[in-house]
Amino acid sequence: MISSLHRIITIARNTLTESVRKKVLNVLLIFALVLVGSSVGFSQLATPGLDSSGLFDAQIKFVKDFGCGAIGLFGFFIALLSTAELIPQELHNRTIYTILAKPVRRSEFLLGKFLGVVLLLALCVALMSLAFAATLYWQELQGLKTTDAAYAQSSNWQANSVLVSAYNHDVQQIVQQVRDPQLIEAIILIFAKLVMTIGIALLISTFATSSIFTIVTTFMIYLIGHMESTAREFWLASGANSSIWQSSLVGFISLLIPDMNSFTIVDEILAGNKVPWSHALNLIGYADVYLIVLLAVSVVIFDYREI
Amino acid sequence: MEIPASQMSTCLPLSWRLRRATLVALLLGLWAPCKIVWEQRIAQEQDFLRYHGVTMTRQLRDELGQGLTIGVLSGMRSVVADLVWLNVTTAWMNNDWWKMGSYINLCTALQPRAPVFWDMGGWELAWNASISTLYDKTQPNELRRIKASRFWIDKGLEIYLRGIENNPTYWRLWNDTALLYDQRLKDYRTAAYYYRKASELPNAPVYLERFSALMYDQHHANDDQAAYAEWKALWEWLTPEERQMKIHEGDRIESEIRRLEQKLSVPKEKRVFPN
Amino acid sequence: MYFPIGKRVAIVKIRTMESSAPVATPFAAETVGLTKRYPLTWKRKVLVALDHLDLQIRPGEVFGLLGPNGSGKSTTLKLLLGLIVPSEGEARVFGLPPDSLDARRRVGFLPENPYFYGFLNGDETLRFYGKLCGVTGPKLDRRIEELIELVGLQNGRERPLRSYSKGMLQRIGLAQALIHDPDLLFLDEPTAGVDPLGSAQIRDLIMRLKKMGKTVIFSSHLLEQVQEVADRVAIFSLGKKVLEGSLESLLAESQSTQINIPAELSAEQQQRLRAAISQTGIDDQKIRFTRPHLSLEQLYLRTVQAQADLSSKNPSGK
Repeated sequence: MISSLHRIITIARNTLTESVRKKVLNVLLIFALVLVGSSVGFSQLATPGLDSSGLFDAQIKFVKDFGCGAIGLFGFFIALLSTAELIPQELHNRTIYTILAKPVRRSEFLLGKFLGVVLLLALCVALMSLAFAATLYWQELQGLKTTDAAYAQSSNWQANSVLVSAYNHDVQQIVQQVRDPQLIEAIILIFAKLVMTIGIALLISTFATSSIFTIVTTFMIYLIGHMESTAREFWLASGANSSIWQSSLVGFISLLIPDMNSFTIVDEILAGNKVPWSHALNLIGYADVYLIVLLAVSVVIFDYREI
Repeated sequence: MEIPASQMSTCLPLSWRLRRATLVALLLGLWAPCKIVWEQRIAQEQDFLRYHGVTMTRQLRDELGQGLTIGVLSGMRSVVADLVWLNVTTAWMNNDWWKMGSYINLCTALQPRAPVFWDMGGWELAWNASISTLYDKTQPNELRRIKASRFWIDKGLEIYLRGIENNPTYWRLWNDTALLYDQRLKDYRTAAYYYRKASELPNAPVYLERFSALMYDQHHANDDQAAYAEWKALWEWLTPEERQMKIHEGDRIESEIRRLEQKLSVPKEKRVFPN
Repeated sequence: MYFPIGKRVAIVKIRTMESSAPVATPFAAETVGLTKRYPLTWKRKVLVALDHLDLQIRPGEVFGLLGPNGSGKSTTLKLLLGLIVPSEGEARVFGLPPDSLDARRRVGFLPENPYFYGFLNGDETLRFYGKLCGVTGPKLDRRIEELIELVGLQNGRERPLRSYSKGMLQRIGLAQALIHDPDLLFLDEPTAGVDPLGSAQIRDLIMRLKKMGKTVIFSSHLLEQVQEVADRVAIFSLGKKVLEGSLESLLAESQSTQINIPAELSAEQQQRLRAAISQTGIDDQKIRFTRPHLSLEQLYLRTVQAQADLSSKNPSGK
């Protein structure tokens, strides 16, 4: 067992090293960091000359949405492109022959590759999250600066207890929204969704003949996954009312495609609403078990693949 | 050496292929029902926590266009809503109030649990649009202008109220509704109700607690009885520590209660401050 | 085959070709009726890459696989390595199924082309494959030093493999095949694309491995090289083994004897020798006198080595 784990980790480290030494990924990452940073510009664009009480709420919402949206989007590209290339590259370069000629099981090889990509994704998400945190902090500083300027218009406002109370409240609102611990929950949920995407891409690549096929199919499953909840409701409710073809298609989607839409509760966290950790853990548990099933099926298919 | 295709099935041993197919079927077959049950539970939890926005309909798809639809479908609903909000800002700059209204509806439909859309949307309509139409010289007479202005106030109010329905614990929506009743509609009693509701919510500023009482003063509803009831209710709502602090700070709650008790000749045994 | 992680199905034996228990056998590698067919769906035909191969290779021998391209040599190697699954028949390595971990622990493989990661340097490559074979820590460090020394890669160990020449790649390939000190080595075209000096070094290495008691199975197109190192060979054609046996028995021309005389004979001396031999009853018309030839390889090696010795004695070039 230990030696098995050791081999998996060796392959994972090798996969990570390969990805890190590739220039393409660096470019993608820089792009992502730039996008996260530019979310501030967008928030200013969306609220020009705004004087409503909800100004900072709106600006902070836009920064959060765009920051996490960039992490989700680029994380998706990094996950998809890295995973789609994993197996085809090894087969094309035949490096897989040298490895499987060693005392390494095919399952260990596959799991090692998977772990390597997950580590790569974790690294990228961590870096993007740091950029995101920096952007949010900058937004907080801007908000505080604007608030200070607004109150400074009334001379000697510090003597007025009502104004002081109002100022403290405004500052507290800004800080509370920026330093929301639930954002960590949001990023973990985004990461869980992306790891599931890696699992799907890996499964497809175990029997696909080209990486393009893997990319397109995984992308389609990703999109259909966001409609799976609707399909499931329809399938469970329809009973004998629908045709056999309709029922089969909807049933197929419900039984096999993951429910990606349930991860959009991240939007609620970003809008400032409370999502208890118990629910987040429920979702993460679902993603983990689904991933184990995906990996198990991948291992079976890969074990029996002619190379 | 090539031989006819009739031997194709002998390329891989049959037992091998059967084993592979059986294992895959077994794994997926065991997982599928568990998956459905688990997903239903998650959906129920999310319904309970009122997470669901609108589902993708044809109309919504037409309004959003293909690119944004894919954005929504790939789980980037909040980003899409934010992008649509840019159109609200543009429409405001162009004084195109009808377009602005429809974009506000679209944003709130996409993300009903994002309070800022209701908050800012209501403000854009009830204040910006209504005040702009009030001074709209293209209208033939003042009556028309007032009517148009009132139309947009009502639209804004509708947004606020629907926003409160979807986000009942967001204090700003209650506060903004109260402000609208107070400053535009001059309905101080309704304003007082909304101010009180706002002040009771989490994260509401402390100074808001007295606004409901202030709605009944001489500058507003001019109802001493109701004002007294509000001040008294506020005092009773405070904890003993808070009361001590307010007395120490010389807060006006005590002075207002005393003044009104005097003015209304409240019997000593029923007074909050008998001395 | 087991998979180490599984929530629902804890440990499931996925694949058993035949019994995976070791079978007592005197052979390092053997095949019984080993067949491999590939479907050519677009041509509506089936390709028989290997047709009922029976082969036995004894421990400690150097066995050569010969044949034109597409004759089944590489297929045989892949089947013996467990990389592909036979359509029919059985293969065993030290009595074990080829895809079992125990079998592969005793086997080393040098692929035909460099199937290595270009972004790793020499050291990292050996470290990676060493760890996969279960060699770790100081033992791995020692082994890497030994092998770098053995294959002569001191200059290139820090450079990424994508900058290596073909000869260097073959060397690193040999090193990784030997990293875990296997008992059986599969070498697929070990000297393909390598210069004659390097080729000779690889040949010497094979001889050294044989002296160490290792079994070597290799395929090659360079027939003269095979002739120099192999004990036994098998010749393949169109997926079938056509001929098998020891070089001694296969190559010896019957009905003639060769005598080597370390001097150039004049015509008169040749005549006298001819007369002496014909007195033993041999028809003197059939006796031929020829001058033995060096092979081009021997001439090349001799020349290059002499030059190298000269340069090392007079480094200034005088």
